[in-house]
Amino acid sequence: MTTTLDEIENTETELSSDELVAECKARANIYRLLSGAFLEEPTLDYLNAIRSPTVMASLKEMGVNFGEDFTATPIEKLQDELACEFAVLFVVAGGCPAVESVRLLGRYQQQPCFEIRDIYRKAGFKVSAARFAVFEDQLGVQLAFLAEMLDRAALALATGDEHGYMLITKEIKRFWALHPGKWVRGYATLLARATDYSFYREMAKLLGSFAQWELDLLGVKVDDLDGGKLKVPKAEIEYEYDPKEPVCNTCEKTDGEDDEEALKKIDISLIQARLEGRK
Amino acid sequence: MFEMNRRTFLKVSGGATAAAIAAPSVLSAMEQDLGGKDFSPETMAERQAIPINCHFCNIQDGAIAFVENGRIVKLEGNPEHVSTRGRLCAKGNSGMWYTYDPDRILYPLKRVGARGEGKWKRITWDEALAEVAQKLDAAIKEDPNSISLKYGRNRSGGVIDRFMNTLGSATVINHTSVCESSKKIGMEPTWGPDIETPDFANTKYILNFGSNIMEAAYFHNPYSQRLVEGTAENQAKLVTFDVRLSNTAGRSDEWIPVFPGTDGAVALALGHVILREDLQDTDFIDTWCNVSTAQLKAHYKQYTPEWASKLSGVPAETIERIAREFALTKPATTYTYRGPAKHLYGSYNEKATMMLSIMTGNVEKRGGYCMPRGMGWPQPQPEPPKPKHGSDMAHPHEYPLAGHKVSHLLPLFIAEGRQKVNVHISYQDNPVYTNPGAQAYWGKLYKDEKLIPYYISMSPFMGEETALADIILPDAPYLERWEPESMPNSLWPWLGIRQPVIKSLGESRENRIMMRDIIWKMDPDGKRGMKKYWNFKDGEDYMRQHFDNIPGLKEAGGLDFLKKHGVWPIYGKLNPRTGKISDKTGREIQAEFGLHEKEVSAADMAGATVDGKGTIHKNGKAIGVRRKGKNYSGFGTGDRLINVRVDKWAEYGFNPMPTFKQIPWHKDMQADEMILTTYKVNIHKQSRSSAVKWLAEIMHSNPVWMNTEKGAELGIKTGDLVRIESSVGHMVTKAYVFEGIHPKVVAIPTAFGHWEYGRLATLKLKEKAAGEFGGQDDADLNNVWWEDKGVHPNAIIPTVVDPIGGSQGWYDTVVKVTKAGPTDKYGDVEGSWEKHLAAAKETMRYAYNGDLHRKMHPEMAAWGGPGSVKKSEGGGH
Repeated sequence: MTTTLDEIENTETELSSDELVAECKARANIYRLLSGAFLEEPTLDYLNAIRSPTVMASLKEMGVNFGEDFTATPIEKLQDELACEFAVLFVVAGGCPAVESVRLLGRYQQQPCFEIRDIYRKAGFKVSAARFAVFEDQLGVQLAFLAEMLDRAALALATGDEHGYMLITKEIKRFWALHPGKWVRGYATLLARATDYSFYREMAKLLGSFAQWELDLLGVKVDDLDGGKLKVPKAEIEYEYDPKEPVCNTCEKTDGEDDEEALKKIDISLIQARLEGRK
Repeated sequence: MFEMNRRTFLKVSGGATAAAIAAPSVLSAMEQDLGGKDFSPETMAERQAIPINCHFCNIQDGAIAFVENGRIVKLEGNPEHVSTRGRLCAKGNSGMWYTYDPDRILYPLKRVGARGEGKWKRITWDEALAEVAQKLDAAIKEDPNSISLKYGRNRSGGVIDRFMNTLGSATVINHTSVCESSKKIGMEPTWGPDIETPDFANTKYILNFGSNIMEAAYFHNPYSQRLVEGTAENQAKLVTFDVRLSNTAGRSDEWIPVFPGTDGAVALALGHVILREDLQDTDFIDTWCNVSTAQLKAHYKQYTPEWASKLSGVPAETIERIAREFALTKPATTYTYRGPAKHLYGSYNEKATMMLSIMTGNVEKRGGYCMPRGMGWPQPQPEPPKPKHGSDMAHPHEYPLAGHKVSHLLPLFIAEGRQKVNVHISYQDNPVYTNPGAQAYWGKLYKDEKLIPYYISMSPFMGEETALADIILPDAPYLERWEPESMPNSLWPWLGIRQPVIKSLGESRENRIMMRDIIWKMDPDGKRGMKKYWNFKDGEDYMRQHFDNIPGLKEAGGLDFLKKHGVWPIYGKLNPRTGKISDKTGREIQAEFGLHEKEVSAADMAGATVDGKGTIHKNGKAIGVRRKGKNYSGFGTGDRLINVRVDKWAEYGFNPMPTFKQIPWHKDMQADEMILTTYKVNIHKQSRSSAVKWLAEIMHSNPVWMNTEKGAELGIKTGDLVRIESSVGHMVTKAYVFEGIHPKVVAIPTAFGHWEYGRLATLKLKEKAAGEFGGQDDADLNNVWWEDKGVHPNAIIPTVVDPIGGSQGWYDTVVKVTKAGPTDKYGDVEGSWEKHLAAAKETMRYAYNGDLHRKMHPEMAAWGGPGSVKKSEGGGH
């Protein structure tokens, strides 16, 4: 299912302007928190900030439950371990890069990357490398963009520019509908299962829940195409022929076997199923 | 009213044909266009076209990359390229998958677990360069030669040598000995160049020894085009000697199965018949060779068809017939590749085969056996001097004639401590997969921190070798880098470039940039005298230093011309009717022949001297040869003649004349023993293509070929599991039983059975541990319908070294093949480090100073032994 612009525009809110400003800022902070987890390896400052009692308490209230591997490990060691886990998850061959092009199209720097670059450009942003060069459609960058947009929305509201606020909100909705909404929720479930570390597991869960909450809040209905499925059900794959069939055994027949008998031995159920499916 | 019915239509149509033809035509089908342009099917906007030279494999086809909205969306042939004429093979069409591979390495990675454990940490380039510079500095302090660099495919145009020379290390190891070095060494001392360029298109007869020209040979794209022209348009006869029915053998007029390693014997016997029946080109031999026809006749008397038949299994009458056909058909040519050369005495085989083109006078003739045509380019200045000390590991003293090195002996040399290695660097080289012994031998070497204390891999992919590195520097795939090119892949010389089609992804850097950055880190202020050799801003600047001052190209625009066209010169236009390059008059362009008969100019002759053989010398160099009163440039040998007799070989106790040596361990093979050979297929290269989606889908597994007769004898049919055992290990794979292979041979293609190289190559997406989260990462992997990734055979192939050319004897392995037992599983591969080491030591017994050399050369009884050899200067061939 895709979202229509009408649906985006008809989202209503009953909060006061001040409450909306506060909410925008709070949401922007969560986006930044998540962006920090997925953009690159966590810095000491970032980890110290999260492990501060205040943040830990507020995260716990949201349901985030870090394990002892996060809370009880010396900070330098933790940073080192999480850097290695970051590499395993997002950088090294065989991992699952947090990049929309890869998630949805199976290769780096495809159409989503260029579409998003264009969206950023129109909004007046360009992506520059932090510690490492990064693709525009990388998860952390998408989240950082949304945080910036929410800051703008808050500023617009605070200065009484309601029209500006509406336009920015519309951009945020559109962005969710066209990009992160298509992959982030499913990807979050995958990450939560893939990682060995409670930090990434909890952050992934938070990401998934927050994404759903945001989509509900914004009134954006968009199917998650990623799905985070472990395996594709066999039934969804159409075979041209049976891949288990040996290369040439179907041509071989024992002495005295006639063609009709040989034909009976060939499994044509897949072909039949395919033909019936077409009917 | 008009009469509108079928009858009137037909009537009118019949009468109106001429008028219909004469009517102006304004529409033409776009698919009939020759290329060079492409349009988006959605917007119809013309896509940006960037000409390059393909480097998926090493044929160097002219290609065009089409870019739409910053993405490479399509690759096709460059119609301006004289060699490939707008055609690009399946591999070349798939090149963008390298760039966008989701398993690509985009950042420097540092190992954090045990070597090979797969634990990495991303580090910045600054951190990576600092660590690498520190390791190199420490190694230089001890001994610059303790820095070794091994490259596989090096098309950097001199950058790697510049880098190693700057560091002062001579330990540069290539890959040529597992590739084709004995072909080169079979040819070079004989006529100069290391390869031939047959004029397939204009020939009438082709004797092909062991090359799969149409599918996988060096230059298969341009050559297969010309071969089809020759056989289809010019009615040339194609005869292929091969152990298996390759796609070329299958399209030949005759496929003659030959026992592995005996092509040389067949070639000598063919020569015997030609000389016995006086079918040789006496004038050519007596004019251009360093032996006379009479000497040649006397030498070839021993090589009878009956003698060759016993060795090769080719009937004597077939040899007699083919010899007469070849000698009596003009023009004719031979062609070879790995078939004859990749054996213990591959150099002898190569020499024997090229003699057929020589003795029949087909050299440098239209339709004949020609010398390669290439172009060079100057190096940016200044250049670092060569290292002070040679490396015995790079040029082992046991193999003084192996000018292209003996790279596959490296594990033995390092293990036995021949030369200490402190830092090892690999560049586009995966010996852990591609070399004999593979994971059992090279894998163990690369994993052992005592043998290789620090290992740097420059690679965009997590290949089997890179997975064992200490630090990975992300190289850029070929669509993202600058490189100069020239390849003798047709009879027209050309210069070309590779240029970045898009900005490199992530933090990849092309090798000239990363090497420059390493040097700059080591010598930031230039005080060490290293930085001055790396004085360029970027890859394009480096190319300008190569190309902007080449006469002819300079006037055409230098690098800017190449950026626009990809290649220089442009010889003509691709004719849509013929598919060939035509000149302004519409005629096909013609190549130049008879290069050896170019006369030396009067200016060059000034001050020159002519010796008793006719060789013209000037300033200490041979510049030509006087024949029949004329001063010709001749061939690229020391005396400018074709050296049928290679005196240098005799110095080391090798037979200087065309000869054949049977592989000793092939002599007494038991009835249940066979020879294992490997081969390459048209849509894969040796190791780096199984991660390419389109290609992996086309072919992803590699059952072992076995002859029907042998299959029946062993009770093996197609699809059965078989166990193949060699002296160094065993493997279990599936059989493919049919008649297209010699009964004493089993053959397995390479490029399959990866255990690294990403999820597609390894099919780890199908495994529980790695696949459950990895499998879904790449949407395309959802479409992987196959379960079989194949089995790689190299772990059971022992090291064999041609004592002359240094080549690996890929096709010399004796194996036993049986039905798999109850404990055997598909994909089992086992090899022994100790047995591989022992095999490497054993093969060195055939070296000129080994104890088996003299036994193998009874005809050289007069040789004075290793002690009689004059000490060469050493330090680099």
